[in-house]
Amino acid sequence: MTNLTRTQSQTGAAARPIWVERWLQRQAMTLHFLKRNPLAVVGLVILGTILLGALLAPVIAPHDPTKVSVKEMLDPPSAAHPFGTDFLGRDLFSRILHGGRNTLAIGLAVVTLAFVVGVSVGIFSGFTGGWVDVVIMRIVDAMLSFPALVLAIAFAAALGPSLTNSMLAVALTLIPQFARLARGQALGVRSLLHVEAARSLGAGTGRLLWKHILPLCLGPLLVQASLSLGSAILQTASLGFLGLGAQPPTPEWGADVSAGAQFIRESPWVALFPGLTILLSVLAFNLIGDALVDWMNPRTRKGY
Amino acid sequence: MLEFTARRILYSIPALLLVLVIIFSLVRITPGDPAVALLGEGATEAQVKALREQLNLDLPMHEQFTRYVTGLLHGDLGTSMRTNRPILQELIQRLPATLELALFATLLALVVGIPLGILSAVYRNSWFDQAARLFSLVGVSVPAFWFAIILQIIFALLLGWLPVSGRLDPLVRPETVTGFLILDGLLTGDYDAAKDALRHILLPAAVLAAFYGATVARYLRANMLEVLSSDYIRTARGKGLAEVKVLLKHALQNAMLPVVTIIGLKFAELLGGAILTETVFSWPGMGRYMFEAIKVRDYPVIQGATLVFATIYMLSSLLVDLFYGVLDPRIRLKG
Repeated sequence: MTNLTRTQSQTGAAARPIWVERWLQRQAMTLHFLKRNPLAVVGLVILGTILLGALLAPVIAPHDPTKVSVKEMLDPPSAAHPFGTDFLGRDLFSRILHGGRNTLAIGLAVVTLAFVVGVSVGIFSGFTGGWVDVVIMRIVDAMLSFPALVLAIAFAAALGPSLTNSMLAVALTLIPQFARLARGQALGVRSLLHVEAARSLGAGTGRLLWKHILPLCLGPLLVQASLSLGSAILQTASLGFLGLGAQPPTPEWGADVSAGAQFIRESPWVALFPGLTILLSVLAFNLIGDALVDWMNPRTRKGY
Repeated sequence: MLEFTARRILYSIPALLLVLVIIFSLVRITPGDPAVALLGEGATEAQVKALREQLNLDLPMHEQFTRYVTGLLHGDLGTSMRTNRPILQELIQRLPATLELALFATLLALVVGIPLGILSAVYRNSWFDQAARLFSLVGVSVPAFWFAIILQIIFALLLGWLPVSGRLDPLVRPETVTGFLILDGLLTGDYDAAKDALRHILLPAAVLAAFYGATVARYLRANMLEVLSSDYIRTARGKGLAEVKVLLKHALQNAMLPVVTIIGLKFAELLGGAILTETVFSWPGMGRYMFEAIKVRDYPVIQGATLVFATIYMLSSLLVDLFYGVLDPRIRLKG
């Protein structure tokens, strides 16, 4: 592969350094991927917009997201309040911008935690094999015997209602999924020649796992992670809606829908906008993840 | 087949035991004294002591667990802290409502999901495919609780076509035969009641079906694509078989196999999603019962409901596996 690239660059108009060549190749591939996946582009655009809004929230939010104003209770959308105000007269647009910071941070934190724990456990289990593997996988299977949302609700209720606890609960339901996938990957990789070679050179378990096995397992795990981001956000929002997540007055989209639910008769916007942003951000992650899954699978990729 | 069935059932026993351990530990992972946490800050000494006794918290851990499992074997899921009624009874009473909703949602999901999946695969990368994929991605991305509210706003509040919530008009009282109201109405000839029940179930079922139908469509599309690129399909086409026959008889049969698994597993997950949907629509089922328990931290009820949901989930995955074994000898014969 390396040699090939080098000869190619030498036959080109001007010999370019190898890293430039690689970079260009990667750009070309990304471009090709995006061209074939208009839906992924839509996902990226939505995600970019939400990310921008969340990052710039303190700058562009027209109002303080927690400032109560009795005079402006349940005002419909207007120039001053583009998304209207909620039952305490708080500006919904500002709450959604600030809530986005929470939601994205939640998704990222939950998936990172689940990824690190789940992948470590799974790779270790698959690599070690024997009774250790059997025991770990039985526990994983048991955790997968619950509908994910039910398990998350049960955990969150046990730990007590708070944003941190609801995130822990959602992470706990994602861990077995990552463990399962990582174990399968590790099983496939552990008997490959280069691992054998490293082992016979005296590499320890830690080094084998970290340097020789993990890198080969990463692809599908990262795709899973991008899909999990969507479900992590959805689940945490659901817990927020049930009152098990973020507590008032913290702006969080799920809890905001819940707070608005009883006013939909006269003021539908209080529930409409926060939920719409949940939908859009989960959709964005799913659009991207979906395209990646398609891309990674040679069979479905054939049509490209 | 008998051996396969026995083996599969034996395999699920350790999983079931671990599920029990997890549910059992739920109360015990509460930070601090669970009894105090359950009762709240204002509880008196005597109340705390009584609850500790009721939950057997003073016994050693293994004995607590033994008692818990023994109780379960006798059909004792404990009593609700709020109403003091046996939880099993309360759950059984609400089971038909939840099952009716779930079954109706499944029906809706299949009616929409299967044609969508097939057409999407056949007209791959066409505008229809893109639209169908976007549609099914929206279906799996939409927060159930929000979608429920939106449907309420549109169909109940704005258009006034369907009732906002509940399972039946309070004035309508059909005789109970099965506990499934639509069926009961039809069986007893009370068509008005059946119609009323149908009007009530449409919106909550649509919410559940959105996720479910979208999932079915996505899996079916992927499987159809795989199957359609295989050699025997080329052979079938090559020998001049009508395309409809190739698609529906040769391709669909094989593509549906893995989808059956998804249908089984998602059915159980549907029951979990029912917690949100039933809450928004005030549907008198198990999900709403669990939500009410969460609000007041009625721990035994949360545990009991979690156990029932997990049991249904395990049972349906068991059934799916067995069914799969019937359909596909390779699975049945593999060690």
